[in-house]
Amino acid sequence: MRLFLEQCTNGLAVGSIYALIALGYTMVYGVLKLINFAHGDLFTFGAYLGMTLLASMLASERVEVGLGLVLLVVMVMGLVAVLGVVLERVAYRPVRSAPRLNAVVSALGASIFLQNALMLAYGGSPQRYEEVLPQTALSVFGLQIPVVRIAVVVAAVAMMAVLYFFVQRTRVGAAIRATAIDPDAARLMGIDVNRIVMLVFVVGPALGGAAGLLVGLLYGSISFTMGWSYGMKAFTAAILGGIGNIPGAMLGGLLLGLVEALGAAYLSMAWRDAIAYGVLILILIVRPSGLLGERVADKV
Amino acid sequence: MSLPAAPGQGSRHLAVAYAVAAALLASAPFVAGWFAEGRYWLDVLNNVGLYALLALSLNVILGDAGLFHMGHAAFYAVGAYTAAILNTQHQVPVLWTLPVCAAVAALFALAVARPVVHLRGDYLLIVTIGMGEIVRIALVNDVFGLTGGANGITGIDRPSILGRRIARPQELFWLIWGFVALTVFLFHRLARSRFGRALNYLREDEVAAEGSGVPTARYRLMAFALGAAWAGMAGALFAGKARTISPESFNVGESVKIFAMVILGGAGSIPGVIAGAALLVGIEEGFRGFANARMLVVGIAMVAMMAFRPQGLFPVHLPRFRPADLPPPPGAPPREEPGR
Amino acid sequence: MKNLVGVLSLALGLAAGPARAADPIKIGMIAPLTGAWASEGQEMKRNGELLAAELNAKGGLLGKNVELVVEDDGGDPRTASLAAQRLTSRGVVAVIGTYGSAVTEATQTIFDEEGILQIANGSTAVRLTEKGLPYFFRTCPRDDEQGRVAAAVIQKSGAKRVALVHDSSAYSKGLADEINGILKSKGVTPVFFEALTPKEQDYSAILSKLRAVSPEIVFFTGYYPEAGLLLKQKRQMGWNVPFVGGDAINNPDLVKLAGKEAAQGFRFLSPPVPKDLDTPEARAYVAAYQKKYGEEPKSIYGVLAGDGFRVIARAIEATKSTDAKKLREYLVGGLKDFPGYTGRIAFNAKGDRVGELYRVYMVDAAGRFVLQP
Repeated sequence: MRLFLEQCTNGLAVGSIYALIALGYTMVYGVLKLINFAHGDLFTFGAYLGMTLLASMLASERVEVGLGLVLLVVMVMGLVAVLGVVLERVAYRPVRSAPRLNAVVSALGASIFLQNALMLAYGGSPQRYEEVLPQTALSVFGLQIPVVRIAVVVAAVAMMAVLYFFVQRTRVGAAIRATAIDPDAARLMGIDVNRIVMLVFVVGPALGGAAGLLVGLLYGSISFTMGWSYGMKAFTAAILGGIGNIPGAMLGGLLLGLVEALGAAYLSMAWRDAIAYGVLILILIVRPSGLLGERVADKV
Repeated sequence: MSLPAAPGQGSRHLAVAYAVAAALLASAPFVAGWFAEGRYWLDVLNNVGLYALLALSLNVILGDAGLFHMGHAAFYAVGAYTAAILNTQHQVPVLWTLPVCAAVAALFALAVARPVVHLRGDYLLIVTIGMGEIVRIALVNDVFGLTGGANGITGIDRPSILGRRIARPQELFWLIWGFVALTVFLFHRLARSRFGRALNYLREDEVAAEGSGVPTARYRLMAFALGAAWAGMAGALFAGKARTISPESFNVGESVKIFAMVILGGAGSIPGVIAGAALLVGIEEGFRGFANARMLVVGIAMVAMMAFRPQGLFPVHLPRFRPADLPPPPGAPPREEPGR
Repeated sequence: MKNLVGVLSLALGLAAGPARAADPIKIGMIAPLTGAWASEGQEMKRNGELLAAELNAKGGLLGKNVELVVEDDGGDPRTASLAAQRLTSRGVVAVIGTYGSAVTEATQTIFDEEGILQIANGSTAVRLTEKGLPYFFRTCPRDDEQGRVAAAVIQKSGAKRVALVHDSSAYSKGLADEINGILKSKGVTPVFFEALTPKEQDYSAILSKLRAVSPEIVFFTGYYPEAGLLLKQKRQMGWNVPFVGGDAINNPDLVKLAGKEAAQGFRFLSPPVPKDLDTPEARAYVAAYQKKYGEEPKSIYGVLAGDGFRVIARAIEATKSTDAKKLREYLVGGLKDFPGYTGRIAFNAKGDRVGELYRVYMVDAAGRFVLQP
């Protein structure tokens, strides 16, 4: 029983990170019908930027920890958002009216470029985060839960709550939803679709970058290839919840995290990633619309 | 009624180009002997040859049939491991494993593609990535106790023909490039065959193809199977060349590399994808100093290509039919042939 | 860049003509310059370059200069086999390397086929020298010795509930099997024997599973990146059971990855670390390294690579030849008690280093590795 509960909390922590990343995929897909392959690398960028900024913040010793962390989150989100906008301009806008394959290839190329640019910039040095969060465990209902995991879940849920409010209750949010349903109709209603696209490429990458920062704080070490593995899992989560559906992405992320953690504990640790990919393939075969979404794949 | 042979594809130019390339390549083992580092460069050419085989095999799936596939390394792996297991456990000579590897890879492709072949574009892409990773993880976890886990399989024999061991780069060169030449020949014939044309039709407009009687699902599966079979054989050759195989050789990065070769070279074009293979291996060798970041150039190339020249370096020329190519209707007087 | 150098050297070579005596003796090194174990590979390279420079300053080998040719194996078998093939085509007479048993194994057949002597410095899996390869040697010890010492440490701690964790690699699983076998023969059956997946980040699943069986001691036979994460996450969970590790965990990055508090009290087995090498020549060497590179050598595997270089150099001098057969004969029969920096070196017919090398180390509160009596 204890193992089960512990694994649930582990799963929720990882799942909330998947959810943050999945939101980026789902928002871009909803509006552009394009899978942003470079999104995972934006997540990695966030992790590395966070590492550098954190290190220099600590070195300067002028900011106290609590405020510093908040500042860090804001800075990382902002910088990665800028990168997201640049990415859209350079890699996606030129091919927006071209056949689907071109956009896919362009996205892949952008992804390869970003990953290698990071490798070039950060070289072979070990990549680790300084320990700023307490590395101890909190006793909750008899379980020893690491403080870092609680912090990550709280931060992620807070961001998701803000996003949910933004998308469901504001006019701009309504505009995003409208564009996702039908860009042409939205244009007719006076919505500036290009602006919406840019906005989506601000919010999505910002969340992805924040997720990267959280991963760094949680595990203490990061790697260049995180983008691919987290990206695939997050994409699975987005599909699981229904691609294009924002609450779906949040739900999908948490659910995938749980399934993965419980699968790892009870079935096999070595096959953990295979389980996630298996879930992906299964959903696409059996129920491509995911849990909360509408039909997307056409059958032949 | 049978159609005359497609006059397009600049076939005369292509034949000349092939002859020149073949002559240059054939001279390579001799020229290499003059230089101290010649051996090394021959080895690089051998790598280009293996990747050319892989690119050609993916071309059938991605270029001809237009199926987004980024798990090709899995078929490569199936072939390589089949060869390795047969060779180390059952003492089957490497070259004899070729047909078995082709068959196993093809069957494997049929099995995994069948449930997902109807998926649209980018979804199929993601699924194939997932499948590729599952294969790799299965290899690492020593599935069925056969694959040797993360360490892979070592001590694979060299290929041998009629008792003569093929070990040195010069000898491997003939084996590999001979196979490439055979493949090029066969795939050109495929492109002109009914099946080949049906695949192109399928790629261009699926609904129209289905409406014209092309069994799309079945042909897609066949494309997968054919591409997989060839990749499987390439895997067997790789096993005999490297003598050690491990799951890391068959990761997503490999699939992406082969995918890039096909796209950058010109999807659907046989000389194009060979050029793509040469280009990517060349970039890897040329930028060796950068170690990790070599692929940076490839990434930029992909984005730029899509913006400026999406058809690739050496795009495929679709055959063009002119009225003079059709046989005259029965009973009509012979048509005057305009100068060709 | 390489093309240009190649063309120029070709031109110079043709122009130089009969000045053959200027040909350097090329000694190869294959090391993980990039990848998960980059810090090991970089030190191996530094050690090699320092020794080559010192040797050349004293007149070189057999009247010729010595050139160290280094290739990167990236820490994985596939890149390693390509790198090995490249080395063989560059005319090296012997090779030092590498680190990581699975990686070394991938290169063994290639060097053996070409008849090139190979001295590994960081590959302790037993089976590497059980294949009858005549040109393969190693300056590092081997895992059956390590297994014995590990089992002794476990027994001394008095623990009855023992957990063994490995990572499925050739080295790690081999060592875990050795320990398992010895413990069982002494009547202690481990309560846990499973693998984790390397290069992941989240080990909470295996840690939770471990905690659920309440072991009194956990022995991890994997590499230092995973060990660092295990220690860190174990502390985050508030779990205090002692962990012990094998020699692949001996790397200063361990403390950086785990954090000082998490690493404190962790013990591991290893040949002595550079700062504990106590002969005058070793200390002089460490000082020379410090002078050239600005810091002391941190990894013993780098110094073991250095000893590999010195052993090859001695063999070439003694036999006045670079023929692999003669070198092998010398190493097995003629080299007795060679004063290596890591201790006295002699090889047996299998190519293994003779002698007892393993010690127990503990990490103290400041993150230093302290030799235990």
